[in-house]
Amino acid sequence: MRMDKIYAKNDDFVQREVAGECILIPIRRQLTDVNSLYVLNETGSALWRRMDGKTPVQAITLDFLNEFDVTQAQLEKDVAALLEDLLSIHAIREAGQTP
Amino acid sequence: MITRNTLPSIPERYPLACQWEITCRCNLRCVMCYTDCFNRPEKIREELTTTEIFRIMDELAEAGCIELALTGGEPLARSDFFDIYEHAKAGGFLVTLLTNGTLITEEIADRLASLPPHHIEISLHGITERTFELVTQGNGSFARCMRAIGLLCDRKLPLLLKTTAMTVNSDEVLTIKRYVNGLQESGHRVGYKLGEKIRLTLDGSDAPGLLALSDEELENLNRQDAELWTEACRNQTSEATPCTSGMGRFHIDAYGQLQLCSGNRRRGYDLRHGSFKEGFYQYLPTFPCSRKAEQHVTLIQPSASHA
Repeated sequence: MRMDKIYAKNDDFVQREVAGECILIPIRRQLTDVNSLYVLNETGSALWRRMDGKTPVQAITLDFLNEFDVTQAQLEKDVAALLEDLLSIHAIREAGQTP
Repeated sequence: MITRNTLPSIPERYPLACQWEITCRCNLRCVMCYTDCFNRPEKIREELTTTEIFRIMDELAEAGCIELALTGGEPLARSDFFDIYEHAKAGGFLVTLLTNGTLITEEIADRLASLPPHHIEISLHGITERTFELVTQGNGSFARCMRAIGLLCDRKLPLLLKTTAMTVNSDEVLTIKRYVNGLQESGHRVGYKLGEKIRLTLDGSDAPGLLALSDEELENLNRQDAELWTEACRNQTSEATPCTSGMGRFHIDAYGQLQLCSGNRRRGYDLRHGSFKEGFYQYLPTFPCSRKAEQHVTLIQPSASHA
């Protein structure tokens, strides 16, 4: 996962706050097809909010270092895993790529 | 990614699921319908406008509500139905549509398929034209309803077909059930539910009650099908437990009254003039319900993956 990449949200997902949880809901697929709602943890929620299709992952991660009590290595590892997850469910795409 | 079967950490009292009767207007005049008495121009003019519905819906989303059942009357009889539906979907609600199906055209089926609801529930009160239209009092309604079921099945949308058992259709219930089983065997995602409750109309008439089956007739009907009998026994058990309406579930009527449930409209909180959060947290707990007691809320509990 290259940290200089830029990612954009897929408009087919809506983010909702439900009982303190940050949930991603696919609106163009049926739940029975995807068989899940996706619950983001604190870092995932913050990453989702900042993903604007313009800011590289590296810049977002640097911001996080000021917010979260975590080492850069651990944060990069966590962010890479989150991006993999979000890409796997098609909630995000590389900016510039066709949805 | 960790897969979970429930949404975590939902408080015991939380506005998770809303049934919203967005209109009492309808293209049919079903003989047992409890909302049809308000299916007249002067009452329809009192119903919530699109703007009011959007504002209240946004408040529901902000409060954390996620399940939204749009019902009527006939929701599709509102000319702004798709504005409402699309606003709900864009707001991240899991939308269930309760409809008589007869207004669903190919174009509407396509539109639903492109932005799929969580579920569509269709009332199927007969499996012959004669019985179906004896109930709906609408010429051609049987053919339109059956066509809608086909259109939605073709688009692989999840359906629940429902029948209210009455004197006028009880001899067709098992045939309807067999029809549903046939759809299931053909690979369609269709469920079936037999309803037994006939309510007073919203203006207080008990006329639909004349169509009700006796307890003995209902039992005889349910005993003829293993699944119906299992469901009837399960319902009897749940009726004996305290009501949980107003805990995780609530109802909004066509005029913006927040209520405990569609079957209990003794008290309402006016969402036209007050906020949803105030109504849900401060007023709803004070509304009377003869079956009310503290209890945990059961919800659809969609499985969740933790990223």
